Formats: sequence, C-alpha cells, structure tokens
Amino acid sequence: MMMSPAVLTRRAAPVLACIGLLAVWQVASLALKNDSFPTAVEAVRAIPDILGDKESLTNILASLRRMAIGFGVAVLVSIPLGLLMGRSRAIAAFFNPLLMVIYPVPKAALMPIIMLWLGVGDVTKTLVIFLGVSLPVIYHSFEGAKAVEEKMLWSGAAMGLSPAQRLVRIVLPAALPEILTGCRTGLVLALITMITSEMIARQSGAGNILFNALDMGQYDTVFAMIIIVGAMGICLDAIFERVRARLVRWSEPQFDMPLSFS
Amino acid sequence: MKAQQNGRGSNDAPHGCENDRLSGRLLAKFVPLNVRASETEDGMTVVPARPSEWMSPVTSQEPASAIIEINHVSQVFQTSARKDHLALSDISLTIEEGAFVSILGPSGCGKSTLLYIVGGFVSPTSGMAKIRGHAITAPGPDRGPVFQEFALFPWKTVLGNVMYGPRQQGVRTAEAEAQSRALIEMVGLKGFENFFPKELSGGMKQRVALARTLAYHPEVLLMDEPFGALDAHTRTRLQNDLLNIWERDRKTVLFVTHSVDEAVFLSDKVVMMSKSPGRIRQVIDIDLPRPRRRNELLLDPQYQKYVVDIERMFDESDEAGAPT
Ligand SMILES: Nc1ncnc2c1ncn2[C@@H]1O[C@H](COP(=O)(O)OP(=O)(O)OP(=O)(O)O)[C@@H](O)[C@H]1O
Ligand SMILES: [Mg+2]
Repeated sequence: MMMSPAVLTRRAAPVLACIGLLAVWQVASLALKNDSFPTAVEAVRAIPDILGDKESLTNILASLRRMAIGFGVAVLVSIPLGLLMGRSRAIAAFFNPLLMVIYPVPKAALMPIIMLWLGVGDVTKTLVIFLGVSLPVIYHSFEGAKAVEEKMLWSGAAMGLSPAQRLVRIVLPAALPEILTGCRTGLVLALITMITSEMIARQSGAGNILFNALDMGQYDTVFAMIIIVGAMGICLDAIFERVRARLVRWSEPQFDMPLSFS
Repeated sequence: MKAQQNGRGSNDAPHGCENDRLSGRLLAKFVPLNVRASETEDGMTVVPARPSEWMSPVTSQEPASAIIEINHVSQVFQTSARKDHLALSDISLTIEEGAFVSILGPSGCGKSTLLYIVGGFVSPTSGMAKIRGHAITAPGPDRGPVFQEFALFPWKTVLGNVMYGPRQQGVRTAEAEAQSRALIEMVGLKGFENFFPKELSGGMKQRVALARTLAYHPEVLLMDEPFGALDAHTRTRLQNDLLNIWERDRKTVLFVTHSVDEAVFLSDKVVMMSKSPGRIRQVIDIDLPRPRRRNELLLDPQYQKYVVDIERMFDESDEAGAPT
C-alpha cells in the first residue's frame, strides 16, 4: 500500500528525532572529552552487554513486574474511586482533603517511612508506584465523571438503569477519554517512581543497576541504562496510546487543526 | 381506513410502519376536506379532543381517563445571580390517556422544567405530578424523554444507541436489532447505523434521539422541541411519521415546541404558557379531524384560525409577560 507523504513524514519523524538526538550527543561528547560523558556510540555498545547479562535482565524484569502490579492495582482502585467522587458530593467531600494532602508530596519522599514499616522488598516499592499512579488517575476519573452530561444519565434512568448500572454503563464510558488521559500520565509516573524507589532502596531492579554503575564510575553502563529506561518508556507509552486510541475512537476530534502539533 | 385500524392493535411499532405510512398517505387522498365531525363557529370553545368517531375506536367508546395529573406544581431555582427564581408557578394540568398535548410558550417560561418534572428527573418545589394516580418520584421506562440536547451516548453507534433501551428491558439482541434497524430506517437514517454520534449533523442526532426513545415503547413520550434543529423538509416528514406512530399506538405525547404551526398541526390540546413566572395561560382544544395531512390542513380555514388566534395570544402575552 502506498503511503501519502504526510503519513510518511509522521511515521519517520520519531526515528529522525532519535537519530538527531544521538548525533548531537555524539558530537557534544567528542567535543567535551569528559570521562563521565561517554559518546553515544559507547553507550549504545554497552546495551547488549546489559541485556545479555542474566542478572541484569532479571533485575530489569523484576522492575517491570513491580511496575505492572503497582500500575494495575492503582488503576483498578483509582478509577472506581474517582468516578464515585465525581458523582457523589459526600464521597468527594470525604476524599478530597485526604488526596490534597498526599498530592503535592513526592511519593519517593514517603519511602523511608514505608521502608520502616514494610522493609526494603517488593511490597514497599510496589506501594510507592501505586501511590504515584493513583493520584493522576483518581483526579482525571473524578473530573471525567463530574463532566458527564446530566441528560445522558437521565436518559439511562428513563430506560431503567439503576444508579450502579448508570455508574458502570454511562459514567464510565462517558468519562473514559479523560480516565485514559490520567492513566497515560500514571504510566509515565509509574516508570519514574519505579526508578526512584530502586534508587532509595537499592536491592534489585533497573534503578539498582544504574546507580551501582554510577557509584563504580561505569559511565557507559549508566548512559546505556538511561537509554534502556527511556526506550521502555517510549514503548509502553506507544502501546498504551494504541490501546487508548482504539478505545476512544468515538471521541477523537473530527478535524486536524492546521498547525497543531498533536 | 380498515388498514389503519388493523395496524394499530399491534405493539411492535417498527414493523410495517412503512406500510402504515403509505396507507396513511393513500388514505388522506380519499378523505374529502369537508368531512368533519363538528364545524364549530368558534374554534376556541372547549370540545372533546377527538370528536371524529372514525378515529376513536382504538380507545373504545369509554371516556378517556387521565394518565398524567399535574397538581399545583411550582418550581423555584436558586440562581447564582439572583436569589430565588420562580420558574413555574402553580401549574395544574391533566393529560388524558392517548392525547397529544403540546406546550407552547416563550423561551425560558419553564417548558423544559415542566417536562422534567413529569419525567421524574426533577422534583418540584411544591405540588406533585402523578402518573395513573401514583406520585412521580423517579424516572421510569413508562415515560420516554427526547431531550432538547439529544443526550446520545457518544460511545455507541447509531444502532447501539437505539438498541440500548430494548436491550436494557431484556429484549433479545437479534430482536432488538431488527426493531432498531426498522426505526432507524423510519427516521431516515438507513445507512448510518454504524456511525458514531460525532459523525452526524445536528438534525441527524435529533432523529437518532427520537428513534432511541421510541425503541423502548414508553407509554408517555416527553418530547422537548424534538424537531427544533431540523430543516423544513425533514421536519415535516418526521411530524407526519410521529403522527402515524401516534395514530397507531395512541401513546400519550407531551410535546414542547416553539412553533404554533407545529403545535396546532399535531395536537389535541395546546397548553399556552406565559413567562416570569411560568404559568399556564390557556389550554386550547384543537378540534381538527385526523388523520391530518399537512398540505390539506394548511388550506383549511379552521386550522388557519387556530394558528392566527394562538399567535395573537402569544403577542399579547409578550406584552403582558414582560419582566418587571
Ligand atoms: N438548573 C437550573 N438552575 C437555575 N435556574 C434554572 C435551572 N433550570 C432552569 N432554570 C430557569 O428556569 C426557567 C425555565 O427554564 P426552562 O429551561 O424550563 O425554559 P424553557 O421554556 O424550556 O425555555 P427554552 O424554550 O428556551 O428551552 C429559566 O428562566 C431558567 O433560567
Ligand atoms: Mg427548553
């Protein structure tokens, strides 16, 4: 199938951006000649060593597992809570102050306390990821549920839907675009909190490899890990975006705004 | 005539509606203009809503019973700007089973609010509305709203929207789909079954909203300016279709409109409201024979008199109802 020039440009753009970034990096590191700033080529060369090493791979997979569990549980808890808050003033009045207290606190800052209670194992790190993901998902679900058109709920009520059915079958789908925006933010936050949690409680994980290498002055490994984590972020986001676009095809804007960069 | 009456007994509205429409059209051709049960001098006198004996056999000969009673309903809104706003003031109205009643009034006189109260979506500040003698406290599938804002489910296709009600009532998928497809065809949207609401024009959305409500066979239709966003041609066509459905099923219809023409053309009764506060100004019985055909009615002096008289009252109420 032939691709139109516009589509071709859109497909090629991310690849070009990555190549451009690596090129700038290469030139800059060659110019600076700093030990702690390896060239792009050196960093990229270190990637197969990391991925080929069984222990490193186990570490990375352990990170991903914690992230998946933390993200999954957070989404499963936060969406219902956010939706209930959006449709019930009493529930919102109860939870809003609690969330407002937690919201501005960097979740990693809570880690030392959680470590005291739950140790340095998986539970602590997963809990921190859970906290990081929850807030944006709750917030967006809440906003999405609040914005659901009243007449839509009335139409459902007239067809005989009970309040619980309306929440699941009208509020949830109607708020879905907003909820998924929250989930996308949550996914990026999951990756961030995953790395920071492993930086604080060094025991296993991708963050552990990164910061150990930093301590030992293996800068090519450090930068290779940054590339790996970055690539993981890009892939997860791309997959998520695919799923999101599928689920909310019905709500996407009809027309491309000229000169918009979306 | 016979065909029309036979068609009415059945409850599966969408099936064969095409035939009924056709027979309605043919029928109209053979009904001479001067066939009239009662030619009253004064169109405004209160006469039985449906005097023409050849139209009434459906509800048999017994006197029509009240299906909806609105008793001294008032609605006060707390507004952010002003303190209290009296949107409806002491409204009392009885709607008989199978009647087509229009509510006519200037913008902001509380027409939608009154409809919401009957729908059970809003509880009145004082007074109460009843359906078949039971106080209305919540919405229910016996009352089907068609909202001014359409309120379609944007994540459902046209077909999905129309099937939603029947599926909720437990109709099997295949059956619900067949009925819904027929309804979609009736409102002129054949070929758009798999479109999402965002892909439709305003008028098309309005037609989907109408089909979606008709699909679950509510006893009472609550229609809030359902034809407001349509072009003249589609509007006329849908008015005719609505009349055909109504003449067959004899659903009770409470119909809000801005258009005097439309109200007179469709209704047994026109409820005129005035503004600030919303009050019933007058209830006018429309004594025109059915089935009504627009092109014939337009030439009918009695129809014209209704329209002119109501428009005149409207002008008066504009002067009288100016905010003080
Ligand atoms: N939720 C509300 N809060 C405050 N005021 C309201 C609310 N709903 C309606 N009103 C007021 O009540 C009055 C009647 O509103 P309503 O929507 O019933 O009018 P309407 O006759 O349907 O008008 P239109 O023909 O323009 O649709 C208006 O003055 C409006 O400002
Ligand atoms: Mg209105």
